[in-house]
Parts: sequence; structure tokens; C-alpha cells
Amino acid sequence: MRRRRPHPLADVERDLDVSPRHRLDLLEEVSADAEGLRGELERRGHPPERARRAALNQVVPAEEALAELEAQHAPRLGRWVRAAGWGDRVERLGIATGAVLAGAAACVALARSGPLGSAPALAWPQVVVVALLAANWTRAAKRLWIDGDLRPEPRRHLWQRQAGLIVAAVALGALGAAWEGYGAYETLAAADFAPSATWAAVRRIIACAAVGLGTAIFGLFGWLAITPRLINDEMIERRIAAFFAASRPPPTPSRRR
Amino acid sequence: MQVRLSKRINELLVLAVLERGPAHGYQIALSVEERTGGAFSFQHGTLYPILHRLEAENRVRGEWGGGGRRRKTYEITDAGRADLEAGADELERQFRALMRLLGGTHAA
Repeated sequence: MRRRRPHPLADVERDLDVSPRHRLDLLEEVSADAEGLRGELERRGHPPERARRAALNQVVPAEEALAELEAQHAPRLGRWVRAAGWGDRVERLGIATGAVLAGAAACVALARSGPLGSAPALAWPQVVVVALLAANWTRAAKRLWIDGDLRPEPRRHLWQRQAGLIVAAVALGALGAAWEGYGAYETLAAADFAPSATWAAVRRIIACAAVGLGTAIFGLFGWLAITPRLINDEMIERRIAAFFAASRPPPTPSRRR
Repeated sequence: MQVRLSKRINELLVLAVLERGPAHGYQIALSVEERTGGAFSFQHGTLYPILHRLEAENRVRGEWGGGGRRRKTYEITDAGRADLEAGADELERQFRALMRLLGGTHAA
């Protein structure tokens, strides 16, 4: 039975909350230095295992160095926010502002398009969906541009939530349109489908569908705005994974009982 | 005060090593330890925040090189040389003052 030794830089990768670009740079720099120092110590007569341990002890950043590196490599916006003492408040404030603005915008749009009168039960969920989309986006943007680090797991959760909300917006729009159509049908039939009444009903149906679609586009475009950074981060994360795969130390035999 | 002084000393140690020529991080750490007879050493990766700060402030220049594997080499800039000179003078003055005080205390 052979057991793999954890990579000496695995903890650094896990604990260092900076952008993937800075994380990869540091991992490569430290790894090359550890290798160089080990070689130098071996040349000076140290036994290989002792040379390896001494090299790692010297170059692998511990807690204090990691904290300092995080502070140095934090995004400029993040540094400014923290210096101003707004570190903890910005997320809540951003979410609240985004939600209020989105809610207000949705209310205005709904009031103008007119579905509030006939389908209020669906109009309010639309407002909630817009607010949730804005809140979700703010959270992702805060992680990227203030904290500097959005790891794959939370990134996946945030995207799943965004996608779910986009689908919900489209579904609510479609449901609202169907509701409007169903409600208008009997009235139109009684009026023998008079052109002016039909046109008014069609406009209300289109307005409902448009609000749903508009909300979905709002959510989709919000996410598209941060997608280039997400793609870039993901590519670098693949390089980090390749770095660990390539420099994985040989397995060490476990002790027999 | 103590943190600031030790930070400044560490920066000057790195700049002094790089004044002799470009070096990798581990070479800087080794050189500092050897040239100070072990009085100063960088353990647990404490060298990297210093190097990255100096690089961000343009006092050293870091360059990536190497064939299959990326390696970073640092070299001192003109601003770094000027800072080293000014810093060395400043430290000398401070330590003289400190030794005068300590010497006085010892004598008393």
C-alpha cells in the first residue's frame, strides 16, 4: 500500500486568497526556488531528505507571509475599500442598493407595461427575481474585484443561482402572458374579437412576455459582463491544476503495522 | 517601531544582495544568511512579501525566465540603488545613536 504525500504547496494554494494569476505566479516562483535551494544544499553535502525539508522550510510561505502577500496582491479597489473601513459593509450595501434599484426599475417597467392590473400575482415575483439577480451579481462582483478571489465552488453556486433566476424570469413572463391571454379570451369572444380590443389584449400579453424576457436579459448580460474575468480565472486555475499534476512528489510507502 | 525597523532592515538586506547582481529568491535568502553569518535569515517564505513589495515599488525588477519551468530572477533598479544608499546611511545613524545610548547605560 503506497500513500501519496500531499504537495508541499497545497496549503499555500488553498489558503492564499488572491487572484488565480497571482496564486500561480507565487506557486511557480516558490516551487522553482525550493528546487534550486534543495539542489544547492545537496551540493553542499546535505542528505537529500534534509536538504528538501530545509529548502521547504525556508521558502514555503507560512501564515504571516501569506497574510502579507494577500494584502499586497489584493485588487486596488479592495485595498481602497478596506483602507476606508468598508470591508464588511460593502457586500451588504451593494446587495441592498442593487436590489432596491432593480426592484424600483422593475416596478416602473411593470406599471408602464400594465400587467399589474391583471396579473399582480406574477408581477411581484418578477420584482423579487430582478432583486435576487442584482444581489447575486453583486456578490460575484464583490468576490472578484474586492476580495480578488472567486474559487470554482462558490463560482459554480453563484452561476447556478443566476441561471435558475434567469429561467424563473422567463417562466414568470410566459406564465404572465398566458394568464393575460386566458383572461382576455372570454371578453374578446363576447366582443366578437373587435380589432381594438384584440390589439389591447395582444399588447398586454406582449408586455408580460417582454418583462420576463427583459429580466432574463438583465441577468444574462450582468453575468456576461463578468464572464471574461471568469474565463481568464478558469484558464489559470487549469494551469494551477497542471502545475500540481506535473510536480506531484513521488508516493511514499506507508509504514507497516 | 520594531516592525517598521525590521521591515526596513530586511529590504536593505535584499537590495544589498541584489546590488552584486541579479539573483533568484533562494539565492538572495542564502546570500543574506551567509553574508551576515546567520544573524539574519528568511524563513517560512518571509522573503516573498519583501521582494514583491520592492518590485511593486519599482526598487527591484522581477523577470520570468527559464525553459520548461518558469523561474523568477530579480535585479536592482536605479531607484533601488538610491534607496539602498539612503537607507544604509539612515540605519548607520540610527544604530550609532542606539549604541551610544546602550554604551552609556552599560557604562553607568
